[in-house]
Amino acid sequence: MLKPLPVRDWNYAMAAHLLNRAGFGGPPREIEALADRGPESAVNFLVDYESILDPTPNPAWAKPDPDRLKKIREINQQGTPEEKKQLQREENQLQRDRLMELRGWWLQRMAVGPRPFQEKMVLFWHGHFATSAEKVRNAYYLWRQNELFRRLATENWQHLLLEAGKDPAMLVWLDQAQSSRQHPNENFAREVMELFALGEGHYTERDVTEAARALTGWTLDRAREKFIYRPQIHDAGPKTFLGRTGSWSGDDVIEQITAQPQSARFITGKLWNYFAGQPPSEELNTGLAAVFRASGGHFKPLLRAMFRSGEFYQASVLRNQVKSPVQWLVGSVRALECPLPAPLISCGMTRQLGQDLFAPPNVKGWDGGTSWITTNTLLARYNDAESLVQGTLPPMGPGDLGGKTKAAGGGGKKGVRKLQRVRMGGVEVGKILTPEERANQSLLVVSLERRLFQSPLKGDQKRTLLDFLASRTLLNDDDILAAIRLMMSTPQYQVT
Amino acid sequence: MKNEITLQTRREFLRTTVLGSSLSWTVPAFLANTLTALHSEAADSATQVVTGSDATILVVLQMAGGNDGLNTVVPYANDFYHRARPHIGLSGDKLIKLNDELALNPALTGFKSLHDAGQLAVVQGVGYPNPSRSHFRSTEIWQTASASDRSEPYGWLGRYFDNACGGSDPTAGVAIGGQLPQAFFAKHPRGICLNNPQNYRFLSKGAGTEESYRKLNDLEMAGLAAEDDNSGGSIGSLAAGMPMQGGSAVDFISRTAMDAQMSSDKIRDIAAKVQTQATYPGSQLGTSLKLVAKLIGGGLPSRVYYVSQGGYDTHTNQVGAQARLLKDLGDATQAFVQDMKAQGNLPRVLVMTFSEFGRRVSENASGGTDHGAAAPLFIVGNRVKAGLFGKQPSLAPQDLHQGDLKYNLDFRNVYAGVLENWLKTKSLPILGKAFEPLSVV
Repeated sequence: MLKPLPVRDWNYAMAAHLLNRAGFGGPPREIEALADRGPESAVNFLVDYESILDPTPNPAWAKPDPDRLKKIREINQQGTPEEKKQLQREENQLQRDRLMELRGWWLQRMAVGPRPFQEKMVLFWHGHFATSAEKVRNAYYLWRQNELFRRLATENWQHLLLEAGKDPAMLVWLDQAQSSRQHPNENFAREVMELFALGEGHYTERDVTEAARALTGWTLDRAREKFIYRPQIHDAGPKTFLGRTGSWSGDDVIEQITAQPQSARFITGKLWNYFAGQPPSEELNTGLAAVFRASGGHFKPLLRAMFRSGEFYQASVLRNQVKSPVQWLVGSVRALECPLPAPLISCGMTRQLGQDLFAPPNVKGWDGGTSWITTNTLLARYNDAESLVQGTLPPMGPGDLGGKTKAAGGGGKKGVRKLQRVRMGGVEVGKILTPEERANQSLLVVSLERRLFQSPLKGDQKRTLLDFLASRTLLNDDDILAAIRLMMSTPQYQVT
Repeated sequence: MKNEITLQTRREFLRTTVLGSSLSWTVPAFLANTLTALHSEAADSATQVVTGSDATILVVLQMAGGNDGLNTVVPYANDFYHRARPHIGLSGDKLIKLNDELALNPALTGFKSLHDAGQLAVVQGVGYPNPSRSHFRSTEIWQTASASDRSEPYGWLGRYFDNACGGSDPTAGVAIGGQLPQAFFAKHPRGICLNNPQNYRFLSKGAGTEESYRKLNDLEMAGLAAEDDNSGGSIGSLAAGMPMQGGSAVDFISRTAMDAQMSSDKIRDIAAKVQTQATYPGSQLGTSLKLVAKLIGGGLPSRVYYVSQGGYDTHTNQVGAQARLLKDLGDATQAFVQDMKAQGNLPRVLVMTFSEFGRRVSENASGGTDHGAAAPLFIVGNRVKAGLFGKQPSLAPQDLHQGDLKYNLDFRNVYAGVLENWLKTKSLPILGKAFEPLSVV
């Protein structure tokens, strides 16, 4: 159980698997570099990312803005109805623009950032805590939550859960900001157990009510845009929670939840499912939970053990996970060494494929797996591959540019007009193929195979591609791009 | 449903078709013709054996966001209504009166025409026990027809596809929109979803690229199979060409690619050739229903279509916003009915609306309403039993549940009615429990 992969089984394909799953993949030279390190060092290189410098700047507005809030308060208190309406319109537009910028900022970090594993973990926490812009209409709050996930991505579970619960976005999302001793709101209390840490069946309705009481006092200081504890609204009485009685506080509740053996099972099971692409067996889950508990609820020992384990490299795990839309887009630009399209287009693509960052479809996040693939989204992947590779605009309508509601960034007709003015990059053939490879069709296909699939194509597929290339009179860049696009339009390309 | 009809079952087969129960629509055309020829009555009369081209069709119309039922079917003579809604309560001549107590929202002029033509059924007080006020959860409940304390992975229409439609032609259900609705989720191919027929294909400019794409993905059989068989069923060729076993992700994706290819050619062809015979609003709903009308007119054998209209979550400034939406709803539905009539397909078609919940009786402080519970839904068609069904729930404060209307009719009774009386299939295996079918047709 969880024995490391033998060194003799480590090779280019295994290194590619690790980089694809622990990160977003990469071009052959990155995979080769990882392969050269050997299995232990490769894992450490990805997991111990703190030593790698990441100078990415934050969005300019990613900080509290007390002056603007003051102005908003004044207008809301003393302004005319027209002024209030105008303010509402401006505020809505501002948040929409910032949300778009935020999405682009994060996708860019995933696409070119030097710490792919950290960003992959941020994406995990983002789906796990499933907070949506549809209700949290504040880009600063959403950025803060995202940055919290980044900072505490692989630290300690209790600490992360506590901080995530006190984070402004979460206080708004699950209504903790509105909870008080007189009217305790149960939303966060319920979801922290049901969705975040224990799973259904491992707590009672009474636990939810008692936890809600204990959590009163936790609220949002809207003027200062941060968490605040207000003792006067805290229910200080005795509560019986998960079998123990005491005058529990919110902090106590979080501590007791993460101390449950089920909590270790739950979160390690989710992490395995996210990285391995399938839920762990009972036995494996027990093993993972044991490693996790032995480390005192720290993630790094667990993740290291996971990525080193023979189980992670089993045949049933390899190349069997459907790429999420974000993985599809970010992985493609990394492998093809081309620029990420402008935010309007990148976000439109992932949205069209079913994954709208900062707007998960429900509190459970994204189901993932084969649910990413429908006739519509599959054809969209194949058509978006064309745009990505050629640097042209993908076929999109107003609906694809916007979220479900305007609050979630809906672009509407204005968005389509914006689209006409946006430029894209496309793949540079000279960057990814040597002159020898360009001149020889067999070498070309082998090189692209290695770059896009990291494992050989089926015999007849290879023949089809060779035939396609042979049918071109002059094998120019356009033809090569068309061949790349064809390779991306296969079931094999949709899995990682 | 078996794909092969053996000699022993032929008599039973004929009997069920003559009695009007629908066959699996994937019966290949040659077989249907044989049956028609065998049964002389069918050959003589106008009634044909029920195959894909004659089967009844259900159009599900989702009103997403939680439509305020009380301002849609307005209890205009009710004191409690006006007391609870001093600002947003509706009154006056523009109300479309249905009787002494109830009227339609003035914006529903489209529905008025349908009502006057006896093509509108208003089902009141629809909901379910222990209602959820969460958009996601309540929508999931309506889509999966589950009890509110359970979670079901598959949709009610998905279970219909699994139970009633054998074979694997993906056009069992067609959803217009970007995402497949949860109602379609099923164990086997789930129907298709598309947004725009022009883009619902592998787009390419270069010569030979599409051909290579088909070869690369073993899709050559798909195109041929679709041409062979005008009823749309192509089970035989599908089974021969594709590896159906194996649970790998790649297998699932390959099957989806096949589904997409088979449906893409058919659908684009129909969308290009069929002319609509009504004027639809230019809204998303109008465009969706227009496409559905084309697909029906073009003979796509699907039994179920799904369209949706969003924006009903009217927490603030409800009156104007809801009026715009309802006008769109009424006009688009009316255009669709007109189109169906012109096509001669109206007797085959039924439209059913649903919304995840109604809204609270009292208005809020922002000129709107918050999430509620029971609400009316509409069923449209010329074989519908027009008029009012069920009872308007009481608005008296003591009769409310936490400020919300109590439901009188479980939505699964409506589903049962549609499944049994319209789609002619047993509702028990699909709904998991026996629900008394509402007799709307």
